[in-house]
Amino acid sequence: MAEPLVRAEGFCFSYAEAARPTLREIDLTLEPGSFTVLAGLSGSGKSTLLRALCGLVPHFHGGDAAGSLEVAGMSVREHGPAELSRVCGVVMQDPERQVVLGGVRAEISLPLEHRGESPGAVARAVEEVALALGIERLLDRRTDTLSGGELQRVALAAALVHRPALLLLDEPTSQLDPVAGDELVWLLRRLNEDWGTAVVIAEHRTERCLPAADRVLAMEDGAVGCDASPEGFLGWAAERAQPLATPLAQLFARAGLGPPPVSVKAAREALRTAALTPRRAPGDTRPSPGEPALRLRGVWLELEEGPTVLRGVDLRVASGERVALMGRNGAGKSSLLRLAKGLVEPTRGKVRRGGEVALLLQNPGDYLVHERAEDEAGPPGLERAGLAGRAEANPRDLSGGERQRLALEVALGGGGHAVALLDEPTRGMDRAHKAALAERIRELPAAVVATHDTEFAAAFADRVVLLGQGEIIADGTPAEVLGGGWHFSTDVARATDGAALLPAEGATLLAAELAR
Amino acid sequence: MRLVPVYRPRASALHSARAGAVSGLCAALALTGALFENPLVTGAVIVAAYAAGAAAGVGKEMSRVALLALPLAALVTLVNPLVYSEGDTLLIRGGDFLGRRWDVTLEAVGAGGLAGLRVASVVMALGLLSAAVDPDALLRLFRRVSYRSALTAALAVRLVPVLARDAGRMGEAARCRAEPPERLLVARAALAGALDRAVDVAAALEVRGYASASPPPRARRPWSRHDVTVAAAALVVLAGAVVARLAGVGEVEAYPSFSVALGPAELALAVGLVVAAVAPLLGRPARLGVARG
Repeated sequence: MAEPLVRAEGFCFSYAEAARPTLREIDLTLEPGSFTVLAGLSGSGKSTLLRALCGLVPHFHGGDAAGSLEVAGMSVREHGPAELSRVCGVVMQDPERQVVLGGVRAEISLPLEHRGESPGAVARAVEEVALALGIERLLDRRTDTLSGGELQRVALAAALVHRPALLLLDEPTSQLDPVAGDELVWLLRRLNEDWGTAVVIAEHRTERCLPAADRVLAMEDGAVGCDASPEGFLGWAAERAQPLATPLAQLFARAGLGPPPVSVKAAREALRTAALTPRRAPGDTRPSPGEPALRLRGVWLELEEGPTVLRGVDLRVASGERVALMGRNGAGKSSLLRLAKGLVEPTRGKVRRGGEVALLLQNPGDYLVHERAEDEAGPPGLERAGLAGRAEANPRDLSGGERQRLALEVALGGGGHAVALLDEPTRGMDRAHKAALAERIRELPAAVVATHDTEFAAAFADRVVLLGQGEIIADGTPAEVLGGGWHFSTDVARATDGAALLPAEGATLLAAELAR
Repeated sequence: MRLVPVYRPRASALHSARAGAVSGLCAALALTGALFENPLVTGAVIVAAYAAGAAAGVGKEMSRVALLALPLAALVTLVNPLVYSEGDTLLIRGGDFLGRRWDVTLEAVGAGGLAGLRVASVVMALGLLSAAVDPDALLRLFRRVSYRSALTAALAVRLVPVLARDAGRMGEAARCRAEPPERLLVARAALAGALDRAVDVAAALEVRGYASASPPPRARRPWSRHDVTVAAAALVVLAGAVVARLAGVGEVEAYPSFSVALGPAELALAVGLVVAAVAPLLGRPARLGVARG
């Protein structure tokens, strides 16, 4: 049997000045060529474990480590990131924050140049990795002209160019649209299968990766709560950690079916075997429109020396409506929200607002400028954000989900708005936080939320607007738009042929089928 | 509108030539601008830089550089007569103030104009460098000399626009608040965000083996036709400028009375500069093998 690539025995780690350890008694072994998914809620220790595997912890971030953690025979306590980089490639969450140079070719070459490789060897490796990842057309582009998905592929190429045995990825799809996210996961699967690269990927949306995975490590409060096959993990999550269960696993658990399916294909197969063909219950119609909270009439946005971002958009949002605005990256979602708020003016057309408009932009940190959380939103805002006990905390020390909730309250500024606009508010959020955010959105007088997350959209929206090339290409109830889509569709919809979008709804239909 | 151009790959001989050759041409033009006060020569440098940029497809960028150079030239033109009051031709008789006389002479105004033109010629040459040379390739030239400094410079080149974008975003977020915070608070938060970003980039460098980095071996790449022609143009411009300067071509006397040499030698130098700078970019050979991807 081959030597394990990673071996941990009783590994613990605490950040400097942290009240409690971030990693506790980690015991694990990872084999060469394995594909491992790291699951867990926000703050459970996934990122820290990945950072320990590449040596950033403890060498770069500081802190106290105990126990043993070896990667390719090197102890991470004795060997720093430079030495471990010979066997590890790392891709982080935000591609924008890990790209170092201005040109794609230079960016991919950098790790090999650091190693003093000859120019010929560098050129060959860059060509090969670019071809393998299908980015050869990007080699002469500037990094600041790439989309998020392209940038993430470039980051992946830079991590792989020296052919590491172990590839570590920290939520690499969280900033990407569903198309780019799925493409990245397929690429990882190919790397793993064709070249034997061991992959460890931390993801909140585990349903994307489970079909490719050999194994799942679920982190709970800094410890490994579950170390099992994907099927074993889903069974464990259904009993012990519901928010970690995939929508399909939740559907099966609620309907009393088993075992939990790892993929849509497995779910469809199980339903077919059980002769269950759920049908949508009639009566899913749009609520009658109330007073207009926001109205866009024939709105165009044409950039000077740039593209046409919006093309004659007509959109009426009524008071009490919750609209999910969807579409691939670059479809014009963010521009539409900025225009609705008045941050930019349309080049043609009119925007009418039924009162004040609140806008939460993509980066919640941009809203947080004070040293104390209470100074940002006041005690009532802090309470609405669920941070009543964190008044003295520095907003930068809050978790991603906490910062998002606080930033939303800052943007809402105590209420009184006709409509609230939220731009990609679930990036990097776990399911528990998303559920809480969906609840908060339902409390708002009216909301338009730009999102790539179909499950989240189905959870809060009573209307889905799909943008494509700056035009509205679909506008209907979630069932109409998300029920029959390919990419813009939920896993439950795919498994039930669009009869249901969410696990609870699907389970009710399945229960009715079973009763019949 | 960006006055300082950002490098974008284009299908031109200038963009296809190696960074060393193109920087050599731009440096030679800048040096010529710095060596001469003669308006025919500095004007020729401006024309040469603009024409080379236009032939390379960055004419619009060079026009913006000209917009940057123009106020600088005007400023120098205006300041010079206030600093120097030498010259035979009195234009404005000023009074005594702060212990000196404030007379404005025609010669000082003329000398200011020439100095402004000189500054503009250097700015145009550097603008061409910024528009036509890949900063990564340029900094790679220096990595063998000082690897870490060159990499730090490369990082700075990449991070400056990123941080500017961050600051712009924070400004927008401030506008979205019910009560916009004080500018100082936003600036402080933007600075903290820049530090966070710097830490992330440092971590990315660490996991790519930066700590054990060594200067890369010298790259031996065959010289393309564009490498050769642009390097030759750089040498011609440099040699022409140095020889002409040593030979006393383009002499200018500002004080006590204004005299500018505008003879055949100056004209030949000016025409030669423009032709040398633009020649590698004209004709069918200049269009061969320039497309990318």
